[in-house]
Amino acid sequence: MSKKDIESALARGVEILNEFLPLNSTLYFPILYSACIWAVRRVFDYRERIFSWQVWLDPDEVRTKPDEFILHFFTTHEALSRAYADEIAGRDVKALRAAFPALYPVCGLEDAFLKALFKKELDAGDYRKIADEFATRAAKARDDIQPAAENPHFWAALENLGAELAALGIHLLKDEAVEKAVVKAIKKHAGKSAVGG
Amino acid sequence: MIRARAEKSWVFAVYVPVILLCAACATHLRHAKAAYAEAQEFSRRYQTEQAVAAYKRSLIESGIEVGNNPSAQAFMLKGMAEVNLGLWRDAELSFIKASGLGFEAGEAWASDVSLLGLAISFEELGLGEPALRAYENLLGKSAFKPVRLAAAQKYFDLTLARTLGLGDKEKSRALADLARVIDKLETGDFACGFYHYFHSQVESHRGDYRRSYEEAVTARELGLPSEKILRDNDNQIVFCYDKLAGSLPASERDIFSAAHAAWTKRWGWKDARTPNWKME
Repeated sequence: MSKKDIESALARGVEILNEFLPLNSTLYFPILYSACIWAVRRVFDYRERIFSWQVWLDPDEVRTKPDEFILHFFTTHEALSRAYADEIAGRDVKALRAAFPALYPVCGLEDAFLKALFKKELDAGDYRKIADEFATRAAKARDDIQPAAENPHFWAALENLGAELAALGIHLLKDEAVEKAVVKAIKKHAGKSAVGG
Repeated sequence: MIRARAEKSWVFAVYVPVILLCAACATHLRHAKAAYAEAQEFSRRYQTEQAVAAYKRSLIESGIEVGNNPSAQAFMLKGMAEVNLGLWRDAELSFIKASGLGFEAGEAWASDVSLLGLAISFEELGLGEPALRAYENLLGKSAFKPVRLAAAQKYFDLTLARTLGLGDKEKSRALADLARVIDKLETGDFACGFYHYFHSQVESHRGDYRRSYEEAVTARELGLPSEKILRDNDNQIVFCYDKLAGSLPASERDIFSAAHAAWTKRWGWKDARTPNWKME
């Protein structure tokens, strides 16, 4: 496995995304990272998989939780307990309940696509921004992917990229290393503001 | 000889395409069935992405099949795939067509799917009361399990949300009523893990963490319909474990912790509080 070959394959991946989603750089990371992870597992039905997150986003668990569960969620998550220290100390369940529908799928259920979509905020520990922007950005991601999703060449290009990455031995890298390589490729292409910005 | 050759080419020209066409039709139906079975297997193993992908493949194949060779079986399969993808309106039309071609349960399934779609629309429009009545109706009468389960999820979520605004006494009464509804559902189908998941959620609202824990463990053992629900159920187990471990007397706590350790070992958790899917 050559690290350089993987880097250049990822750079081509960014080019592909730039071609199909020119104004939606926020989607580059979740899509490219997902493509890499699926390449590791050697599964290439990308179209179905990328669309599956839309179904995954739909509510199917019981969303209404008791106050105690919400408090427990915020207090037992180390970073969240720091970010919401004031609300926890004051047992301001109303405020915590308002942030819960956004933060629970990302930090509690660990949805892979949503974690990638809010990577910048998660890395910065900016949980309040996730809570504020969750509904708008999740809906926007759903809408933004649509034009590219309707183009069969987009899926063919992604599939070829995945096959190439698999052949280059991306499965030998850990998930964190893949994540770093993808971020590096995106930053290189569009400057530091491209990821999640 | 020329005549024999001409007959032979006629046979090739007419029969071979017909045979190939029939084979192709059979292949689409077979592929649709295989993809559907695969999807159910993925669902059983909580591999949601793969399950959705397989349901979509089943939908595409059955869609081709109903175009080439409409049959009750093909429409039923198409409807089932649509139900699993939440395409209620499409599913209703497929079941109506299946019914028209001789699938007896098709009409009832179409009517249940239609009512569920309507109830979801009511809820989205903020009309909670008619939505709740429709969900309750489906819970009690639908013979089509996917609809019954979807209605149950909506019914419990909507009812629990309503209890949040009630005073203590009213809330306690409303939650007791909900517990009775879930008891009745469990009596009808005790092996349904999803019902035990609802039961766990309701008991959690009632503050009965021991019962909630037991129901969540039962749900996990019996199986849940998606990875997302499995994860939520795991979080419920951890929540109840923390609550119970913090409130039980020392002697009981040790017995409880030992039992919990046995379960988590069986499930392959990293420790008593960390399910295997957790990144942290």
